[in-house]
Parts: sequence; structure tokens; C-alpha cells
Amino acid sequence: MKISRAWLQTYFENPLSDMAALSEALTFHAFEIDGIEGDILDVKVTPNRGHDCLSHRGIAKELSAILKLPLKNDGPRKSIIIEPKVEAVSVSIDTPLCSRYIAGYIKGVKVGPSPEWLRKALESLGQRSINNIVDATNYVMFDLGQPLHAFDAGKLSAKDGKYAIAVRSARKAEKMLALDDKEYALTPAMLVISDANADATIGIAGVKGGRPSGVDGDTVDIVIESANFDGASTRKTAQALKLRTDASQRFEQVISPELAAYGMRAAADLIVQLAGGTIAGFADAYPTKGDQKTVSVSVEKINQVLGTGLTAAEIADVFVRLEFGYKEEGGVFKVIPLFERLDILIAEDLVEEVGRIIGYDKVPATELPPFPKKPEVNANFYAAEKIREDLVSKGYSEVFTSVFADAGERAVANKVDSVRPYLRATLVDGLNDALERNIHNKDLLGLKEVKLFEIGVVWRDGKEMMMVSTASEKEKAAEMHLEGAGSPTYDELPLSKTGRYQPFSKYPFIVRDIALWVPADTDADRLRSDLAMWAAPMCLHVRPFDRFEKSGRLSLAFRLIFQSPGRTLTDAEANAVMEKVNAAVKDRGWEVR
Amino acid sequence: MPRGHIHPISSLIREANAIFFNMGFAFEEGPLLEDEWHNFNALNVPQDHPARDMQDTFFIKDEPGMVLRTHTSPVQVRYMESQMKKGIAPPYRVIVPGKVFRNEATDVTHEAEFFQIEGLAVGEDITLAHLKGTLARFFKELFKGAEVEIRFRPSFFPFTEPSVEVDMRVVGDAAPEKLRGKWIEMMGAGMVHPSVLENAGVDPKKYRGFAFGMGLDRLALLRWGIDDIRLMHSADLRFIDQF
Repeated sequence: MKISRAWLQTYFENPLSDMAALSEALTFHAFEIDGIEGDILDVKVTPNRGHDCLSHRGIAKELSAILKLPLKNDGPRKSIIIEPKVEAVSVSIDTPLCSRYIAGYIKGVKVGPSPEWLRKALESLGQRSINNIVDATNYVMFDLGQPLHAFDAGKLSAKDGKYAIAVRSARKAEKMLALDDKEYALTPAMLVISDANADATIGIAGVKGGRPSGVDGDTVDIVIESANFDGASTRKTAQALKLRTDASQRFEQVISPELAAYGMRAAADLIVQLAGGTIAGFADAYPTKGDQKTVSVSVEKINQVLGTGLTAAEIADVFVRLEFGYKEEGGVFKVIPLFERLDILIAEDLVEEVGRIIGYDKVPATELPPFPKKPEVNANFYAAEKIREDLVSKGYSEVFTSVFADAGERAVANKVDSVRPYLRATLVDGLNDALERNIHNKDLLGLKEVKLFEIGVVWRDGKEMMMVSTASEKEKAAEMHLEGAGSPTYDELPLSKTGRYQPFSKYPFIVRDIALWVPADTDADRLRSDLAMWAAPMCLHVRPFDRFEKSGRLSLAFRLIFQSPGRTLTDAEANAVMEKVNAAVKDRGWEVR
Repeated sequence: MPRGHIHPISSLIREANAIFFNMGFAFEEGPLLEDEWHNFNALNVPQDHPARDMQDTFFIKDEPGMVLRTHTSPVQVRYMESQMKKGIAPPYRVIVPGKVFRNEATDVTHEAEFFQIEGLAVGEDITLAHLKGTLARFFKELFKGAEVEIRFRPSFFPFTEPSVEVDMRVVGDAAPEKLRGKWIEMMGAGMVHPSVLENAGVDPKKYRGFAFGMGLDRLALLRWGIDDIRLMHSADLRFIDQF
């Protein structure tokens, strides 16, 4: 989530540290930072903290705990009363997937542009300013993490002077024109907000509001929604409609229904401040309020998991910094996490809080004690290693080809690129393809014969099995089942001694041969390096491939490989180099055959 | 006859196995075609977790509940289950090198099929400090005695609690020049979540463990300065013959 430093500053009395320091504090104690741009931190909030940290207030709380900075103006830490109760709006919840719905009725607002501070704050996060009402609801969402929505009350139906909001499942074949001016086809698996008097759908719960009830320049009275919708349900709806919004993203991660009240209070107050009007009151449907959880953890357990020697006082300090309530007795902490911290469920969750706030640099590096028994040798791996070494010693090189194939017994249902959806039933086809491709590079590779092998899994006869297959230019590709082999210990086998890999040219290469008559006592190796020198830099390799003696003279033949790292060479270029080489050879008094 | 070449991944697995074997870790394996229970549920990844979205996981046609495993972690559960069935209680120590799959478009740093190495140590006295010590020793031996530092950052995985990202830094003259002194993100790890132990039949009140999962292709890229992950499955001897 994009987090503005200026926005964070509203939570602190003293000036915050610079971006680098904030980034480091979060990186080593809370979240990865995906990027820093000017005043904006891109914080990668982990899925277990979507409950509380997709908000400036959540990140401010983290920094407060990490850097030991006191928070000011922390709304959700104060007690709150959602009053007065309003008669003019009723709320009914007809689904277990909505745990709370608060409607706030504000009359006599003046819709207009937002003040500069608000426009700037939203724009700094890449959000577009719309009007003071919509901006206020968005601001509170990015501030506290509670999604909100504003309906134009004038566009809802009143019955006996009363509005009725209902949360229910969408009807079959129901459609809704959303604020993005697109029409969405809804299904009964989706949750909607309904103007119950008209039985009209005015919003897709937790995802998007409807166009007909949207706030515009003529709006005078509004109904603000601050609700809590089920995570999985919201996610499925957003996915099905391909409509992932800032609101749906937050509900997907599951947020506490307690937060709805703070969101409502903050939004209502901000709207009255920006657009005038009066708060007529609130209707709060909150069928089942959850119990406050207590999670216990002992000092001993924390140290046993982390491998540390922390004291009860050091642990208590972490809970104080996180503002968790706790009681400690005989080395056991009974902790009451904040209501928004839905991630704290078991003792291990508290261990993590202690570990990360204190810092994982305080965890020492300790070697494991010796294992009480000798580990077993894996029969399949032992057998694979044995055959691997055997084949390498016979000149075969090992390749891995894809498990995806054009044919097979089983197939994947949803391959992104939809090519080769089958799971291979044989290694032979892939290996033959690889052989074909490598044969083209035989001269470049300097191989007399291309010989390949693969050890890999195939799916055949309804089973998954490990096969070994070989293929070379001289023998037909063959494969066999790899049978495990027992051994008391692994053999010591050679490892790759390569230091750095050298990228190879992807351009075509050109081959030229040269055969020479030279005196019998000529040093062939020296001659080869002379040829290489004369043919440089276009010539990559000079490889001897034939040698015989006749009547006191020596015949030597070499193959020259021409290739450029950055372009395709022409035959004419290779020929020109060969002429140069021929001339140099003749200068030495040697005869080109 | 000139020797052929082994694949760099095979060389890495051979080397990793030797290092971990000396620390008491056995080599384990599991099926590539895996059931959702082992790949997800048993690892505390609930039904509606985003990781189960269609674009990440390869599902098998006409075989509901079967996937190409998205990580080597299901073998944690399979291994513990099988040991408990045989009546063998912890301590356990295993590594699981093997192929895993992600249903995504490929580029120089992403492959749909790649290799991971999983590590698991379970006992009555295993700590996060042991994880740090074990990884420090592994990298030290892998980088041939170079000085290696290990750093943890907070993270989240459903199957570990606490969860960490592991960074590594090789320092000193013995370190490869391109890597020297730089922190590199190596893997995700943590203490095995009690639910995972429980799902495998191991009593989480008595036993704890650490687990890690590291990309072997990425490790190979770093180790040898390889510039394109797709070379691993290219079967191209212009690549393989360099190892």
C-alpha cells in the first residue's frame, strides 16, 4: 500500500525520521518496502496484517511500536458512541456474511470541491479527487482502513418519511449500473445493498456503489455506509466481476467489525467539517458482537522458540509498545490484543510479535546439536546419482526438458499459455527434440557426437515414475525405469568446478576448414594458436580434426568457427578472414591442401 | 573418452545433499502431482486463500483436487505422516530438493517449472536460532569457506509462525566478486506452524521445528552468474557444457 510520510506525520508530535530510516524500521520489524518515491513508501503489507495495516494509522502504529514514538490522536484507542440513534433510516441484515452495518444520516450538505490539503493527500497516493463527500470517505478508508460509501438520500425511496437499507443476496439475473458506468450482472452468490422500499440494488456489498444513488452536485442529504462484509465472499464477488477495488481489497483481508464505528465517526465528522450539514443520527445493525480474545504465552516458550534469553521485562516492553493489554503471572503473559489485530490467535503469534519488534538480529546463529542417528541414504537419489555419474563418464551430458508435452495420459486444465498442456508420458520425445537442436551446434560445441541424458518424472499407466533416458546421434533414444538402490552411504562424486558462467552468442556461426601440409617436426599446437591469432577476433574456436603423416610430411586439418556476440556474420566476412589466413600460411612456406 | 557434463542444478543438489547429510538431514522426495490437501490445507492454506487462484496453480484436467505441487512443502507433511505411521517420533531432519510449478508466463527471472530445496528439522528443542545457524553453515560450505552472514526479516507464510525472509551476504576475499558484501534475498523460512505439525500427526505441544524453502535455480543464477533462468530447462549444451 502507498503510504505518505506527511500523512503519517499527523499521528506524531515530533518530526518523523527521513524516508530511509522509516523504510529500514519497517523492513526489519514489519514489512518489506517495495519502493520509495519522494514522500511515498510502497509498503508490502503481508496477508496476515491486511486486517489492520492497509491504512496510514496501521503503519503509524507499527512505527510507534518499532521506534518507541508515542501516537497522538489515535481514534480507535478512544471509546466511542455512535449516537444519536436515527429514526429516519432503518437497516436490516438478511445474511450471515455481513456482521455489522452502520448507516449515518447527514442532512443539508453542500457538495463541492475538496480543500487543498485533502486533494493533495489523496493525489499523493495516486487517487483522483472527486468531491468533498466522496473524498472524505476515501480519506477515512486510507487513514483507518475502513471502507465507506456515501449514498444520495434524495435518490433513495422513502416510505412514511423513512429510508430502509437492506443487506441481502443478489437476485437471479439482477443487474446493476455501478459508479464506473459499467453494468454488472449479479448472481445470488453475491451480496448487495438494497434500497428496501423500492427493492432496488444500490451497491455491490464491499465492492462498488451504484450509479443511480451516487452523490453529485445536487445532493443535499446523504446516507453514509460503514459496514463489515465477509472476506471470502467479497473476494469471490470481486473476482467474478473482475472489479477489485480499494474497498474489496480491504474486506477480502477481513477487518474487525469494531472498526466500522470509528470509520463512521471519523467520516461523519469530516464531512460536516468540509461540507456543512448536520448529523441527523445513526442506525447500527450489529447482530453479534464478538468476544474479546485472550492469548497466553510464557517467557519460557518465547525463548524456546526464538532461541533467545529474553527477560519478562523485555517481553512486557514489547506488549506495551504494541499497546496490547496484558497480565503477567509467574512468567506467563495473558495478552489481550487490540481489537483490530485479528492475526493474534495463538501463542506463536505473540512469539512472532516479540521476535520482530525486538528484532531478529537479536536471534543468535546456533548450530544444531548432532543428530542422534545417521541419516538414511535415499535409495532413489543414490541410484540416480550412480547412473548420472556412469553416463557422464561415458560422454553423455545431462539436460532437463519440460514436463509439459503435446501428448500424454494426463493434462493440466488451466495452463496460462495453453500450449503443450499434457504431462509427458515419456522422456524420449523431449530428449529427441533436444538432440536435434544441439546437433546444429555440434561444430560450435566441438563435439564429435552429441550425447544426452535426462533423469526425470513421467506420468504413465496412471502412475508417476522416475525414468532415465539417453539419446545420441548413433543410437536411438531409449528410456528405462529408475530403480532405487540401497547403500550405507553416498559415494563422493565430482561437483562442477566452474567459476563464472559465460553467456553465449545467440547469433548463427560459420564454419571453415583448412588443411595444410607442413614439415613433420611442426608443433601442431603452436600452429593452431597461430591460426587462431590470424583469424581473430571474428573466429571463436580453432579445433584440430585430422592429422596424418605421408612421405615425411605432416597433414593437419583444422576447423574454424566464426561467430559474433552481437550480430549475424556474412559468408563474405568469413571468406575474407580465410584469405588472410591462407596468405599467412603461405608466408610460412606451408602448403594449403 | 571425454566426460559429459552434469546439469548445474544436479551439481547443486549433490553439493547441498552432502552438506546437509553431515548435519543429519536425510534426502526426501514426494510426488510432483500432488493432492490439494498436502499442497494447501495441511499447510494451513485455507480454501479461499489467494494462492489457490487459478493463475498460480496448475490444476489437473478431470482430476478434481489434484495439482502440480506449487512448492516442496507438502513433503514436510508427507514425511512426518509416514514417520508417525511407522511409529517413529521426532527428531526429524530432512531436505527435499525437487521440481515445483507455478502457472505463470515465463521471462528471464520466472519459469513455470523450477527447483526448490525444502529443509525441515523437528524436535523438542529446535529454535529459530538453529535455523540461522544451519543456514549460515550451509552457505559457508557452499561458498567454500567465505565468510557468510545471515539476516532475518519479518514475513508471512501460512505454514510457519514466526515467518522470516532470509537474506545472505558473503564477505571477505573468498567471496565471489560479484556477490561480495551484498545482501541477497535467499528464501522464506520460519518455525513450523503448530497446525502443520498437528495435521501431520505430530504433537505440537511436545515438538517444534523449523522449515525453509529456497529456489535452487535462483541459487544457481547467483552462484555462477547465469543471466536467464530459462536456460535451466533449455537442454542447450552451449549452457550445460560450461558446467
